[in-house]
Amino acid sequence: MHVSLRGITVDFGNLRAVDKVSLEANAGEIHAVVGENGAGKSTIMSVLYGSNTDFSGDILCNGKRVSWSSPRDAIKAGIGMVHQHFMLVGNLTVLENITLGNELINQFGFIKFNTIRANILNIISRYKIHIDLDELVDNLSVAQRQIVEIIKLLYRESMVLILDEPTAVLTPNEREIFFHSLRNFKAENKTIILITHKIDEVMDIADHVTVLRNGKLISSSHLNTTNKEKISQEIVGREIPRLNIKRGAYENKKILDVKDVIIKTNFNAKQAINFCIKKGEIIGIAGVSGNGQTELIETLIGIRRASDGEINLLDRNIINENTQTRRMMGISFVPQDRQRDGLALGASVWENACITKVNNKKFSWGSFLRKENMKAFSRSLIREFNIKVNGPDALVRTMSGGNMQKLVVARELSSQCPLIIIENPTWGIDIGSIAFIHQKIMDIKSAGVAILLVSNELDEITSLSDSAFVMYEGTLSKRISKGENFRELIGQHMLSGFNTYYSPTGISPDE
Amino acid sequence: MSKINKTKTAGIVIETLATFLSISLIIFFLLYLADANFSEAIRGFIKSSIGGRKNAYLFTTFSKMALITGMAIAALIAFRAGLFNIGGEGQLVVGGLVSAFVGLSVADFGLYGILLALASGMAAGAIWALLSGFLTIYMGVPLLVGSLLLNYPARYISSYLVSHPFRDVNSGLPQTFLLPKSVWLPYFQGTRLDVGIILIFLVYLFILVISQKTKYGYYSKCMGISFSFAKISGLPTKKIVFETLALSGAIAGLVGSIAVLGIHHRFTDGMLVQPLYAWTGIIAALMVNLNLWGIPLAGFFFAAISTGAAGMERIAQVPKEIATIIQAIIILFVVGKLGSLGSASISSGESDHD
Repeated sequence: MHVSLRGITVDFGNLRAVDKVSLEANAGEIHAVVGENGAGKSTIMSVLYGSNTDFSGDILCNGKRVSWSSPRDAIKAGIGMVHQHFMLVGNLTVLENITLGNELINQFGFIKFNTIRANILNIISRYKIHIDLDELVDNLSVAQRQIVEIIKLLYRESMVLILDEPTAVLTPNEREIFFHSLRNFKAENKTIILITHKIDEVMDIADHVTVLRNGKLISSSHLNTTNKEKISQEIVGREIPRLNIKRGAYENKKILDVKDVIIKTNFNAKQAINFCIKKGEIIGIAGVSGNGQTELIETLIGIRRASDGEINLLDRNIINENTQTRRMMGISFVPQDRQRDGLALGASVWENACITKVNNKKFSWGSFLRKENMKAFSRSLIREFNIKVNGPDALVRTMSGGNMQKLVVARELSSQCPLIIIENPTWGIDIGSIAFIHQKIMDIKSAGVAILLVSNELDEITSLSDSAFVMYEGTLSKRISKGENFRELIGQHMLSGFNTYYSPTGISPDE
Repeated sequence: MSKINKTKTAGIVIETLATFLSISLIIFFLLYLADANFSEAIRGFIKSSIGGRKNAYLFTTFSKMALITGMAIAALIAFRAGLFNIGGEGQLVVGGLVSAFVGLSVADFGLYGILLALASGMAAGAIWALLSGFLTIYMGVPLLVGSLLLNYPARYISSYLVSHPFRDVNSGLPQTFLLPKSVWLPYFQGTRLDVGIILIFLVYLFILVISQKTKYGYYSKCMGISFSFAKISGLPTKKIVFETLALSGAIAGLVGSIAVLGIHHRFTDGMLVQPLYAWTGIIAALMVNLNLWGIPLAGFFFAAISTGAAGMERIAQVPKEIATIIQAIIILFVVGKLGSLGSASISSGESDHD
């Protein structure tokens, strides 16, 4: 189905979220919509999907003007959307979720599960999808849940699939499988609109790319008439500063020395973990998420007890200390989940910026807080990290993802700890903020901080770290030093562990 | 923009009028059922909640307000730290019971006796609350369940003690002996209002200060927003849990002490449970969205509604049941109203928290 949006304008109060944007997507085309957070990507899609009806401009389907009063109308017309946060019911089965809201019933009002099952089986065999229809959604991985969402659309015979940041939650392997399915849909003449801010994906799979910035249409072009650099520049609106890296500058002093620590993971790995980080060194830990990185981090910061071994911070064994003591002794930590672990969303910026520093004489006097100093400090962080927010009293909830992350990074990097553990610092944020945060990490490296960078992004590991380990099923690989095959070696280990050699033909997207 | 504001204001006015009208209609219908005189009932309601000879009823309302406000504060400080202590009732009963016993045995110490009775009531409430904290932290019993279930032993232990070993048999009721006058909380000159309300006001000020100005207040607020954030930021979460529960229980215990030393001057079985002080306090705290500034007003509102309903019963011969239903309806409408306002204004209201 050919859809087109003409001159769409959406206002939120005084803020113009989308400003006269037009967009055309053809049948059998993968149309990528890219832009930073807050560029208006999701807003314009909510217009097409009928969940935002307060706009001006026209929606056309196959050349005919249409209007929806709710997503129900859009769904009926063949438009389906998978939201970034899935809309599934955890304690229902896959089958029940797929049919929910769209049940076939017989004359007695009972649901015709057998017919439904046959229909769904038909779909999943046609697209070579593998999923157990009787599994509870709660027991599925994130990638499988996404598949359920997509089957839902296929089951409703949607001809236009809108996918909001679909790969944010996928591992590289799962992403390949997912892209393979998208190509199948494309071959079936479906229209796919892909909202993303990963340019590499756009280059991989899209046919057409539309760039939005600050609610305005910047460009809309066929992929073969543009290139990666051009798109990045259009997204950010300026040139992205190149990372200023001083490499190999670390000193021969051990900050963190992990010896024979056995961490408890879901894998039966009993292999001891050993590694050390020197002053001014960045050690990367790569790996597909869910291979024990979380458990390793929790063990290091004291949320999880290690059963054995030593964790030496500046030559003192901290394995029996709690998080509070470890932080005081000099570990700071940027957690991946900023909304749950990194910030208190309902509190203000200053309350979030100072939480790890309250015992500092500058910020408290006995039991009492010195709020003025706390706010002044927050103001200085806002300035230094270029955080877009309405001052230290603003609620964190009102900030965008990138700015939230900057706030977490600002707090932890300003702690003057000798060791900082950073977990996926650029997860789900825009390119501008990514470049900024990477530069800040390099800056504290130069200042002599030891850094443990745990990331699922291979590029992040290879561009920032001095050497890296790969975590696979609860064990750590040998140390991989920065060198000729750095990237390839890490990639191999990530996908297939440390023994077997990975061959590109070894994964079948059909499985 | 101004047009939007105008329509918004008009909307609020219409909504308020509609609410008022529907409350009146329901009350009118109920009074019709009860065969009572409408205007007399309403007059009775208003007169006995804020009027009376020499404002006597107003003082009764104030005295109730002290208890409800106290329980609301106890609930609020636990809730804002993310601790769903709904065991206020047990803590209240234990506090009242212990101060009745202490009060009976320290008659000769004058003011010190009063202070001792108050302090022991607070300590008892705190210990009762800490018990649910231990169950949570060391046994894995969810606080919501543990604190609720501890209400029952408190209630029935007190019931047993005042019905059997410590009963004032001659009074004919399951209750302790009357406390000697020397340990009664003093009244305000010329009224039947005791100084308990001042104690509650001091507690209120204390809580205002610690929640806004101290590390404890800062930590417990953050822990209430996200426990995982508190843990990862290295806050002493266990300590905050115990401090908060002790504080919350102590305040509930103090309310029990005030009821015993200031109002009833003895512990009668059920006297702290039946008026639902603890539950009303929880509703009051939730009604104002855990905003400390709104607590006294909410306390006054609930106290006035309940004395008003009692007055309606007395003056207009409205049956007690109908009066109670009317009370519940007013509360439902007001809570619903404030609830919808509250959820809309959370974001703007929170920012002026400091």
